[in-house]
Amino acid sequence: MTEFGLRLAISLTQIAAVMGIVVVTVLILTLAERKVLGWMQDRMGPMEVGPYGILQPFADAIKLFFKEDIIPAGANKFLFTVAPILCLIPAFIGFAVIPWGPNQTFEINGITVRPFVISDINIGILYILAFASLGAYGIILGGWASNSKYSLLGGLRSAAQIISYELNVGLSIVGVLILAGSLSLVKITDAQAGGFWNWYLFALPAPQIFAFVVYVISSVAETNRVPFDLPEAESELVAGFFTEYSGLRFAFFFLAEYANMVLVSCVAAALFLGGCNAPYPGTIMALIGLPSLAWVENTMWFAVKTYSFLFLFFWLRATLPRLRYDQLMRFGWKVMLPIALGNIVVTALAVFFYQQMK
Amino acid sequence: MASTSTTKRLNLYEWFKTITFYEILVGMKATLSHLLHYRPVTLQYPHEKRTLPDNYRGMLALLRYDDGTEKCVGCDLCEAACPSRVIRVVSAEVPGEPTKRYSKEYYMDMTRCLFCGMCVDACPVDALGMTREFEWAVYDKRQLHLNKQQLLAIGDRSFPVREKRLELQHPNVAFFNVAFKHVPPKPD
Repeated sequence: MTEFGLRLAISLTQIAAVMGIVVVTVLILTLAERKVLGWMQDRMGPMEVGPYGILQPFADAIKLFFKEDIIPAGANKFLFTVAPILCLIPAFIGFAVIPWGPNQTFEINGITVRPFVISDINIGILYILAFASLGAYGIILGGWASNSKYSLLGGLRSAAQIISYELNVGLSIVGVLILAGSLSLVKITDAQAGGFWNWYLFALPAPQIFAFVVYVISSVAETNRVPFDLPEAESELVAGFFTEYSGLRFAFFFLAEYANMVLVSCVAAALFLGGCNAPYPGTIMALIGLPSLAWVENTMWFAVKTYSFLFLFFWLRATLPRLRYDQLMRFGWKVMLPIALGNIVVTALAVFFYQQMK
Repeated sequence: MASTSTTKRLNLYEWFKTITFYEILVGMKATLSHLLHYRPVTLQYPHEKRTLPDNYRGMLALLRYDDGTEKCVGCDLCEAACPSRVIRVVSAEVPGEPTKRYSKEYYMDMTRCLFCGMCVDACPVDALGMTREFEWAVYDKRQLHLNKQQLLAIGDRSFPVREKRLELQHPNVAFFNVAFKHVPPKPD
């Protein structure tokens, strides 16, 4: 086999594995969300399909797969078809730079393979932000192409919301970038190794607590989740931008929303919560003499951080009512943006003086 | 207007509450406590059913005496009492037994019934009863237009213990709705 062929095979395997993990996570999330929401509201959640309803995601998937694919009259067929894909691809493509585990390499036939990250590009976080912004096009085009006022209103709301909150996500991350001195997620994760006091949420000289709060709130808004789910406000807009969608196209939008949730959780874990690093120095596996299995522990920590962040999404959904549109905008521009900007200034000054003192 | 703006200004404590999302955290604590003390109010309906109260007013039924004869004497009082005109009775003389009457046909349109129980109250011979059946969802509405045989069948399966005939219960009702053989039968 040629070197190119081998590289391609390895990359495709990694991509398939990551896509599989993300889709399985989304399947788990759809059930977990309904269950957690039910438990928090003194209900049971789905209970009929399988024991305790654990097969509900598969039932939903099969149902969506076999549903009639309706294109409404007067809809722009091309954009209507393209929009869900435009929404789905940016949601999935960001996972390419997420480091799932430790920064290890091994060699096959002279080719260096990084098993826990598909591609460690040196502008990783910028790449994620860029593609997350592209996802807004799918929503806006889907809303516009449906030829429905609800969809259009949902799409427009989503456009305004994503633009104003993307800014805050980007600015809240800048503090971490100043501390790490790199845009590569692998490097950022490695810089946080050695205990939870090195995580950028708590790290000296400038703990990014305010940036983390801004990031959490803005990422909730960016993924159109409660309490910022104005683009798909059920009580006002039926289902918002995907009101007219059915069947597989609807499933694409649904998948994209959940994949986006997973992505922002992964980014939060990688940037603020130390990524795959355990909250104590080193790993237990290395301590008990199994350093070759340390990656299991590291990936478990990454999963724990991501899932607890996802749990926060459900928790917020169970607790909070939806914001009004002007509240959303005022909160984004007049509260979140100044905090994020102030955080950049404070972090920059702190890092500067810290380096001067050293 | 200056006074209102000063009263609306937040004091330090409220300002602190606002920036720490205190109200939201209280709400989140409430939802989390419900998650941890998980006591669902859900009743898994088709698998488990709630216990009905003793005076539950369910599906209507026609009853029989213990010898298997119908109680209904065809007096039409239930039809008169019914507020939503569910019941239609066609009264007739019992063939071969002049002056003794029964309901030749008896229809109930259960799509309209509001389960008030007035027909049961109105019946002078207790020929109507309210069962504890409630699962009467059907695909075709016409299946809820019940005739006498269906109503008697409901009564048979819901009231296995039957009353004695009236004349055997009390001497005062011994001559209620009996045949007078010497009276010529009415033309139909």
